[in-house]
Amino acid sequence: MSPESTALPMLHVSTPAGERYETVIDLERVRAAHHPLYRERQTVSADGNVAAALATLQMWRCILYAGFPITPSTKWLETVAVKVAEDAHGIKRVKLLEAEHAVADYLVGAAAACRDLIFPTATSSVGLDHMTETTRSLGASGLGNVMLIDVYRATANFPLCIEGDPSDTLAHRDDGFIQIACRGKQQIYDTILQSPCLGMHPDVMTPTMPGFYGIKDSHRSARLTVEPDHEIHEFQDRWIEPCQLPGLINGDTALGNCVTSRFFQGFKLAQKRRLERSLDVLPMIGADFERTFGRPGLAYFDSVGWREAERVDLAVVSMGPDFGTFEALRPDYEKRTGLKVAGLAMRLLTPFPREAVRLKLANASAVLVVNQAHHVGRGHLTLDVADALSNLPSPPRVVSAFAGLGGADVSEDTWEAMLDGAREALDGKRTPPWRLYHEGRAL
Amino acid sequence: MSGYKETALKESCFRPGSTLCPGCMESVAFQNVGRVSDNGKKTIFTIGTSCAEVSTLAFPNVVAWGRGDRAPDDFAKSFSILHNVFESAPTLAEAVRDVADSLESCGALKSPVQVMAASGDGGAFAIGLRALLHTIHRRTRVTIMVLVNEIFANTGFQYSPATMPFAETSTTPTGPDFPGNPQMPLDYIHLAIAAGAGLVAQVSPAHGKLFLKTVERAIECPTTAVLFVPAPCISGWKFEDGETVELALLGAQCGVFPAFTWERGKGGKVLDCPLDAKDRPGIEEFMARQRRFQHMVKRDPATGTPAIQPGREQAMERLHGWVQENVERLYRLAEMK
Repeated sequence: MSPESTALPMLHVSTPAGERYETVIDLERVRAAHHPLYRERQTVSADGNVAAALATLQMWRCILYAGFPITPSTKWLETVAVKVAEDAHGIKRVKLLEAEHAVADYLVGAAAACRDLIFPTATSSVGLDHMTETTRSLGASGLGNVMLIDVYRATANFPLCIEGDPSDTLAHRDDGFIQIACRGKQQIYDTILQSPCLGMHPDVMTPTMPGFYGIKDSHRSARLTVEPDHEIHEFQDRWIEPCQLPGLINGDTALGNCVTSRFFQGFKLAQKRRLERSLDVLPMIGADFERTFGRPGLAYFDSVGWREAERVDLAVVSMGPDFGTFEALRPDYEKRTGLKVAGLAMRLLTPFPREAVRLKLANASAVLVVNQAHHVGRGHLTLDVADALSNLPSPPRVVSAFAGLGGADVSEDTWEAMLDGAREALDGKRTPPWRLYHEGRAL
Repeated sequence: MSGYKETALKESCFRPGSTLCPGCMESVAFQNVGRVSDNGKKTIFTIGTSCAEVSTLAFPNVVAWGRGDRAPDDFAKSFSILHNVFESAPTLAEAVRDVADSLESCGALKSPVQVMAASGDGGAFAIGLRALLHTIHRRTRVTIMVLVNEIFANTGFQYSPATMPFAETSTTPTGPDFPGNPQMPLDYIHLAIAAGAGLVAQVSPAHGKLFLKTVERAIECPTTAVLFVPAPCISGWKFEDGETVELALLGAQCGVFPAFTWERGKGGKVLDCPLDAKDRPGIEEFMARQRRFQHMVKRDPATGTPAIQPGREQAMERLHGWVQENVERLYRLAEMK
């Protein structure tokens, strides 16, 4: 022991990732230092950014909020900053960094320093792109205590478009994050409360990227039910156990090693398996959330119009708030056409729930996939759906559409035009690989 | 402050087993910093991608870090290290510092933690200048060590913003009209001071006692301490085995990278490098020992004296001018408080 040392010998245990010192960090002190934002259930008015901010502020495990502003996610950071500033003697801090890349690096350092705390941020579009060098490291890191909230916005600057389409999140499918899409303020709030439970689960240990549409959801307000902090803590504590692996502070460990290709295989296999295990864990967390708070919890997708073991003529697969327009017009469309029409609004984007999607769509005669992000081919969702259906003996025809690019509204006319286009497949006609729709017609 | 002998007997967190080149100054620096940091506080290192990463953290090779053969019972002796992308080391360190400070502020962490970042000059001055300057600008209580070997050594000895003028690198080759690197180096010491560092130093283990004392002061600095470590690279500078420390000393004495220490509010000093060029060793001897300058200087076979290559006189004159400017600039910076 060095002469200056003031520390006493400490209980430590060996783990596959190095030594963990048991009593170095007293998490109960962090929990005790949390100042509740809500002591009872309340209904407030909030836009999506505020809903996301409130959720992160209510978690006792969130004490550092790193960020860099970018439209349309900026209000998440501003809201957190305001609430932190209002909280006298609180321990929560906002960390303003000089660029999104720095935010991502910061998340690596913070999450590795203490694996029992949750480190959130929010970004959009090219901000997420700017983080990419490090988000790919994060995705492989096992640091499930990172939560990157993506407020969807079109990417690329030629031309620049600041409205919300999910081309940013869909361009990052391979970063290694669990990507969950939300629609509506309540679902945003609820999803963010559940995401760390999934990411930090010992079988999963994968960072999460909950996301929602910029402008359509980030900037429009609605009623939001917020839960009391203590109930959120009880729920999260059921799922988040102290991490068995050492962090930088409570460990004698090395993270971010360099490996030869021979050993790289094992790391990648483990990463894929951790990600895929989220398929098993996610429904359990969702069910517990629903039991606890009485609202639907995490799910692979929202289902509309499906009847038990009954065939549907046309199934729609899409995501985001424009799916609500389809939900609203679906009954009339069924009446008018005599077709049975159902739909899936995807929630879990990555890993894509192939099995569940196949089971659902196996009962459809044709599938219309509505993509809302630029893609070089038939669309991100189309490829996933086609892959999910590929093992069926006689898979339904898949019709691919693009609509709502750049955050454009997908109107009732546009939905009807897309549904009419998909009916061509039911009639046995050839359909083009994809069509791009806007304002009620194919362009 | 610990005595030189006392420090030498401490347990370094840098251990045998690295695959750094024999004679690499980085391993000498790590060995020394590793001893100084054995001071009763838990040490956490962050590093960006560099020789330091690929040569010390390779799996399944030996991870050349940690104090002792086994995890120590004394938490203060424990050691952790984190690597991420090239430019990330200062930001990683800042994050670790903030988490530790937050935990301490609510009583959740009672054992002190010290955080050090290590980058190469490629990671710090080229791809990572933003990260370096902003962590300094935020006055983060970390020690940032930049190992300046004047090249991107890890990727094959390419030009970096710290490359000495007229040096041959794999991306600034020489030719009849191309005398190596045409750029003047980035004034990184001035940048670090201007960004707000609490302590800035340029010193290598060639100045043994000064190096240890400076590292000790850097660790104790209440804001960001930045330690630029001139690091002769045996493979990139192309010099003979066993000359690393001599070359580092000579380079400092002749004015290429003078030993310099500075603290905010106190000012600084240039050490072992007189202001007047005639009182310093000539840079020709420093250059003649490295094949990266063989197009500029050669030894007279009869006398062994370095002589300027024919046709390079003008370039050599410019180089002398840069060295003198470099020394004078540091003397001026030393006067700042």
